[in-house]
Amino acid sequence: MDSYQLPQFNRDIHIALLKNVSNASQIRSRIIIAASIPSPQGDAEREAINFAFIDPRLLTSALHIKTAIYQALLNEHQASLRTKSVHSEILWALNPNNNITEAIRRFGVSDSCTSLLIVRISSPDLNDVEAKIKSIVSGDIVPLSQLETLTDWATIKKYYKLNGEPVLEEVAGDTQRERAVLDNIVVSSVAMKTVMQ
Amino acid sequence: MPGRLRKSNPLKKPDRPYYALGLEGSANKLGAGIIKHAEDGSSSVLSNVRHTYITPPGEGFLPRDTAQHHREWALKVIKDALKQAGIAMRDIDCICYTKGPGMGAPLVSVALVARTLSLLFNKPLVGVNHCVGHIEMGREITGAQNPVVLYVSGGNTQVIAYSRQCYRIFGETLDIAVGNCLDRFARVINLSNDPSPGYNIEQEAKKGKRLLPLPYSTKGMDLSLSGILTATEAYTTDKRFRIDPTTDELNGEDIITPADLCFSLQETVFAMLVEITERAMAHIGSKEVLIVGGVGCNERLQEMMGVMASERNGQVFATDERFCIDNGIMIAQAGLLSYRMGYTTPLVESTCTQRFRTDEVHVAWRA
Amino acid sequence: MSPTTPLNPTSPPTLTLISNSTPVAQGAEAKVYKSILHPSREGSPVSIFVKYRFTKQYRHPTLDTNLTRARVAGEARALMKCLRSGVNVPGIRMVDASEGVLGTEWIEGKSVRALLGGGADDEGDDDELLEDGQDTQELLEEDTLKPFGLSQDTLMSMIGTEIAKMHLADVIHGDLTTSNMMLPFPSPSHLTLLYLVDFGLSFTSPLTEDKAVDLYVLERAFSSTHPDSSALFARVLDAYAKRVGEKEWGVVGRRLDDVRLRGRKRSMVG
Repeated sequence: MDSYQLPQFNRDIHIALLKNVSNASQIRSRIIIAASIPSPQGDAEREAINFAFIDPRLLTSALHIKTAIYQALLNEHQASLRTKSVHSEILWALNPNNNITEAIRRFGVSDSCTSLLIVRISSPDLNDVEAKIKSIVSGDIVPLSQLETLTDWATIKKYYKLNGEPVLEEVAGDTQRERAVLDNIVVSSVAMKTVMQ
Repeated sequence: MPGRLRKSNPLKKPDRPYYALGLEGSANKLGAGIIKHAEDGSSSVLSNVRHTYITPPGEGFLPRDTAQHHREWALKVIKDALKQAGIAMRDIDCICYTKGPGMGAPLVSVALVARTLSLLFNKPLVGVNHCVGHIEMGREITGAQNPVVLYVSGGNTQVIAYSRQCYRIFGETLDIAVGNCLDRFARVINLSNDPSPGYNIEQEAKKGKRLLPLPYSTKGMDLSLSGILTATEAYTTDKRFRIDPTTDELNGEDIITPADLCFSLQETVFAMLVEITERAMAHIGSKEVLIVGGVGCNERLQEMMGVMASERNGQVFATDERFCIDNGIMIAQAGLLSYRMGYTTPLVESTCTQRFRTDEVHVAWRA
Repeated sequence: MSPTTPLNPTSPPTLTLISNSTPVAQGAEAKVYKSILHPSREGSPVSIFVKYRFTKQYRHPTLDTNLTRARVAGEARALMKCLRSGVNVPGIRMVDASEGVLGTEWIEGKSVRALLGGGADDEGDDDELLEDGQDTQELLEEDTLKPFGLSQDTLMSMIGTEIAKMHLADVIHGDLTTSNMMLPFPSPSHLTLLYLVDFGLSFTSPLTEDKAVDLYVLERAFSSTHPDSSALFARVLDAYAKRVGEKEWGVVGRRLDDVRLRGRKRSMVG
């Protein structure tokens, strides 16, 4: 699990990658149900699953998700959140357009997920994040570097509208270079989304 | 900044006092001035007489009418200049006139007078570049050593820096001059042309409160002004626009007044000018700014430039309306500097040029 | 890196980030820094290049805010367009338009200006370098390029090609100088590419005039900063011509001739 501090936001960031996940659909149901229970009854459940659940197949690199996290935090700080929480904002940040439902559908947990990337943005005093994650997700925490093995490049190209871009013709045939280029473009898109026309 | 070897000044101190008569008429101001260069190297303004052709509100000045005005006033203005200076034509060393740039007919009407005087009194002619006149007078009056020059008038908008005997143009307008932009808007809202539309825009702007969005158009070292003029004019057809707002309207409603537009136009246009000036300063490492030309009289522009300059630990130099606004003395000053370096304009070459770039002049009198 | 500044609860996070970053230089428009966005414990932290367009006091505050925001956005969009078109430019890593900040990929290397050696009339850079990360210019031209495994000719071709790609995407750089071109230090993990940087004055335009002026600005920068470089610049144009194709070069090349004749710009009207 990767954890670091962003003092300028007074926040800790925790990122965990899990493989062999067996309860994706259960997690998804929990999220949907928890959203509908009114306060104060639903608060405990919402707090229990207060994480961002992301489909790691749609991520090109650790930098990709960290960039989305950063931009979501900026939005939260500037009171310009498009979604309900900073965690859901990460999903919005990942998606190239403003359609929140689509963002959740594309980048969030789906029933078919056998791996998950979990993000928790917390105040600096939160402990036992790893334990909390393990209590929700049935799977094995693996190093974040294994993200590369999961990437679904074809879908990413589709979502970020990269098929046919001149740059890809330049690097066609060289897989390693192509992936580096795609990662760069995808990260850049996430970073500059707020100023894209 | 690279170190500079101290080069010796090519302009030596004169062996005796020199006197020059300068004649200016490239736009609607007709000026005659007499300058003295003393043996100690100093310059003094002996006289600076001017008469401006002012049109009714809402109207601009046309070349033919302007030339007629100059013809009507030339002799009076020149005589007054001589009288105030207390010298006669025989004491004059050279007759300097504006060769260009400017409006054709007015330029020529003054050149004709210059040529006639030259023949009558057997004095050499010196054709002078109008912009160089502004720069040299600005340097003389303010004492600025090697400033970036912002030259802003009805007909010109340039950022200039001196380098190796040339006034290099670093940046300029890609379409209209800033004075032209302001004057044309003044006419749209029917401000008086007395004493000048620019002066009246400045006063009107002081009453403005709202900053309306206007297109900001700098391109590197250059700027474009036609877009912002069009956009400002467009606001006058906005339904919130009130040409003559009542007190009630001013206090309550969401309206746009002419003062608001003048304010917005000035703030935006002047910010653009300050930006390109700052860029030039950063590029060449200069800490001085000299503002010349009619728009240089504008106190808001001077103020904004001052804020920028002080942030860079620099200084702004500006002259007052005697010298910012087109005048004959600046032509005399630049002309006499040329003359002392051996330059004269033979009669056959004493034409006028409507397009005469500042950087075409060989600045022989500087190192 | 300077020690972490205590958190000021009212300070915008980006300004806090900057206060904990290493200053690199200051120009007329912006201050630039070396910074770390994601201080992860795993792997070595990756640096980014932060460009901060600070408030200009002479401008009306509303104008200042709007202009700064528009400029950050414009620069980011130009970079994005270049990235998608295959022009080698730094990737974007963080954008905070309301604070006037753009974070891009850090390129560790040397500018072409340093590699070619200069020392002539200093008309190039408008930045005063604050750090001693200065490039030494005493090295001979060929020696400086040796570690990169490139000849000057190859370098010139790379420059021409990148500019061509950029122009084909209708992006005009607006400030092409040898200070705005970088070669990253060679590494086994990536190719040595020529990067175009600093798109602060860039804009989109299909016009031949704008492309010709873009090239002309570079030509002037070459001749004033690197004397005896006209042969080198010719190589740049060769590569440019090859990349944009005969037809396009016919048009742009001819316009470049016009721009050269005009000197700076169109003639003034009185």
